[in-house]
Formats: sequence, C-alpha cells, structure tokens
Amino acid sequence: MNLAHAHILLNHVPIIGTLMTLGLFLVSLVANRKDLTQASLALFSLIALLAIPTYMSGNAAEDVIKEFPGVSMALIETHQGAAMLAFVFMEITGAISLAGLWQFSRSTKNLRASLPGRLNLSGVLLFAIITAGLMAVTGNTGGEIRHPEIVLGQQATSIVGSVGGEIIASIKHFVIDSSMWVWPVLEDLHFLGLILILGSMGVLNLRILGFLKQLPVAPLHWFIPWGIAGFFINVVTGLLFFLGMPGFYTVNVIFQIKMLTVLLAGGNLLLFNCTSAFRALEHLGPGEDAPPFAKFIAASQIFLWIAVIVLGRYIPYGEVT
Amino acid sequence: MAVPLIFKTIEESGLSSWIRDSPSVFAYWFILSFHAIGMALLVGASVIIDLRILGVARDLPLSPLKGLYGIIWTGFWIQVVSGALLLIAYPTKALTNPDFYIKLTLIGLAVAVMHTIKKRVFGDSSLTEAAMMMKGKALATWSLMFWVGAVTAGRLLAYTYNYLKFDYRG
Repeated sequence: MNLAHAHILLNHVPIIGTLMTLGLFLVSLVANRKDLTQASLALFSLIALLAIPTYMSGNAAEDVIKEFPGVSMALIETHQGAAMLAFVFMEITGAISLAGLWQFSRSTKNLRASLPGRLNLSGVLLFAIITAGLMAVTGNTGGEIRHPEIVLGQQATSIVGSVGGEIIASIKHFVIDSSMWVWPVLEDLHFLGLILILGSMGVLNLRILGFLKQLPVAPLHWFIPWGIAGFFINVVTGLLFFLGMPGFYTVNVIFQIKMLTVLLAGGNLLLFNCTSAFRALEHLGPGEDAPPFAKFIAASQIFLWIAVIVLGRYIPYGEVT
Repeated sequence: MAVPLIFKTIEESGLSSWIRDSPSVFAYWFILSFHAIGMALLVGASVIIDLRILGVARDLPLSPLKGLYGIIWTGFWIQVVSGALLLIAYPTKALTNPDFYIKLTLIGLAVAVMHTIKKRVFGDSSLTEAAMMMKGKALATWSLMFWVGAVTAGRLLAYTYNYLKFDYRG
C-alpha cells in the first residue's frame, strides 16, 4: 500500500460522509432529536479530521499517476482546486460542530434551547450545505481523472475547480514568496497553538490520572475550547505550510506518521472529551479517583500529544533529498 | 564586531560537533524535541494558571492549581539542560544574534512573574478566591505577554541569525 492507495480508500469518507451526515443532521433538526443532532455533530467533526489525510494524500496520488498515459494534468489541477475548497469548508464545518458538541457534552439541555446553541446549529447547517456541494464537485472532478467511462461527451470544466486552483497558487505565493516573515510567523502561531493544546488537555488529563487531585473535574471542561482553538490554529497554519511546500511534506515519512498521530490524538479529544461520554466524569469531586478506563484514555492522550510534538520536530530529519 | 574565538573552540569540541553533525536520531533533533516538550510543560502550565486567574473556568477552585508549579519547574529545568546543549552545538549562531538576548530576557521576566504569582497569589492562604484573582490579574496578563514574546523570539532564532557557525555566515 502506498499513499495513492490511501487516497483512494479515504476519499469517499468526506464526500459520502458529508452527504449522509447532512441528511442525518436535517432529520435531527426537523424531528428535534438532540441525540441525533449530537451524533451528527460528532460525525461532522470526525469527517473534518479524516479530511486532513484525504487532502494531503491527494498530492501523493498525483505524483504516482501524473505520468500515466491518458491522465490529464488539467483535470488533476481542477480536482485539486475543488478539493482544497471542499477541505477548507469541511474544516470550518468541523470546527463549528466541535464547538457545538462541546456545549452538548456539558449539559443535558437541547442545544436549540439557547441562542448560542441556535447560532451554532445554523452555522453548522450553512457550512455543511456549502461543503456538501464542494465535495460533490471534488468527487466528480476526481473521478474523471481515471474513469473515462463517466465522462459523457466533453469533459466537464469546473469553475469551482479552477477558482480553487488559482487560490492554491496564490496561497503558495503568499506563504513562500510574498515575504520572508510569513513562514516564521506561521511557525510561531503553530507553536502557540501547540501550547494551548498541551496546556488545556494536559491539565484535564493529569487530573483524571490523579495528579492535582484536589481539583473537581467538571470545571476543567472550560479549558477544552482553548485546546480546540489551539488545534484549529494548528490545522490552519499546518495547511498553509503544506500548501507552501507540498512536495516536501508529501514524501516525508515522519510527517506522514505525525499526521496519523494527530488523527489519533484529535479523535481521542473529540470522542472522549467532547461527547456525552465525558459526562460520566463530571461528578468527580475533589480527591475522587477516576475509573481505570478514563485514566487509560487520559494517559494515551498525553502520550499522543507529546508524540505529535516530537514527530513535528523530527520532520526536517525525515526530509527526502 | 569580531566574534570571540571561544565560540570556535566550543564548536570544535566533540560534544558540539556530535550534537550538530551526528546522523544519530539521538543528536540534534532529539534535543530539539526535548526543548519543545519542555516549552509545552513550562508555558502550557503557566498559561493555565494565568487563564484561571483571568477568569476562565471560574468555578474551578484556584488554590489547588498551585500543584502546576511542579510541572512549571520540571519544564524549566528541561529547558535549561536542552537549551544549554543546543547552545553548545551552535554558540556563534545564538550569541551573535540580538534576538537570543531578547528571548532570554523575556524568559527571565516570565519566570519572575510566575514566581511572584506563586508568592503573592498562592502564598497567602488567608485570601479568598476573589481576592486571589484580583491580586493576580495584572501579573497574569504580564505573564501571558512575556510567554508569547519568549516563544516568538525563540521561534525567530531559526530565521534571524547572522552566523551559522564561527567561520560560516548563514
């Protein structure tokens, strides 16, 4: 298996996943079922996470197939442009969903009962609809690269794809050529994001493990949005690094392992700290011991975030020359 | 300005060239990883204390957060040791860069502020939570600013140096 293979495996997740989750989300809103709404938000966040390796493995797939006979570079670039736009909107949808999910995990009330909750759900709905449309274009243009049987008559030219392609080019110019200070400032933000993640999730997970035991667990929940904010900053700055030097990152094995670790750590944060699964820990008062399973999750999360830091620092070591 | 010859002597030492040039996974990038983990512990734990003093997670009791100072000092000593090793690897690169001195100054200020918070906010057990927050507000704001400045100055070291090594202008 290579990364091109991974791209084929992964690429259906954001496309079909977004459409299916949007359907579930609409049903949950119409039927006013908060459990289904929560499931939809969790799915949107999870898809946003999986969209990261999906987008990035696309570059590896391009490297593999671009020399094949009958493969059009113009089609690849159109697909890439649409994919970048779909990816960006997917990440925004995921971030808003995660914020809503976090609110859900704190109270048993319906998110629709409060104004911030209603704003959140409207935001998710709006961005999910745009994302679904962009995902459809991405899937269509992607399929045309290797499936001549689906092209009827002339190949469809996608305005979305060409606009996206131009945006990719201008982002690359902005990150690499516009000023020598853009990259260092992005690196700085990436480090500050890291500190927010480690600080917020660190203090929560250390308490669950039994350090700082005088702290009740429930109010530590307030730090999770700071961790999510750090994670979002790092996804955005990380995407900008990737768009600036796609060739450098695509073939770098340490970067690939780092992305896998980010998925595990982010998925851990999403599933255990931002869903109602966390509510079981909310009753832990000062001095009380968390159940062994919660401790296991907390320890694994600390391990994964530290692994992300170490792998990030080793990326230059993994440079392929 | 002439670069002091002692930098060259340090760079020619076995330890310095091993950290800098060894292809081993336990050389330069290993130490740099520790420097990043130390930063996460030192700054991450400080930021949690600052945010709580400034009103984030208001229903979280403040005084038990004193326990985070253990993590802060652990992170601090990891930084001292890993930072010293990095300095041995690249003395000219660091010490001829004004940004390096800015970074050290900001770290000194941030650590001093954290120490003052420990003494003034956590040291007086007769204070109520509200009084602790009141007393720590300005200090916590300074701490956040100094830490952001220190991290920024540190990050910029990789982009602002004048000499990479004694006889090599970067």
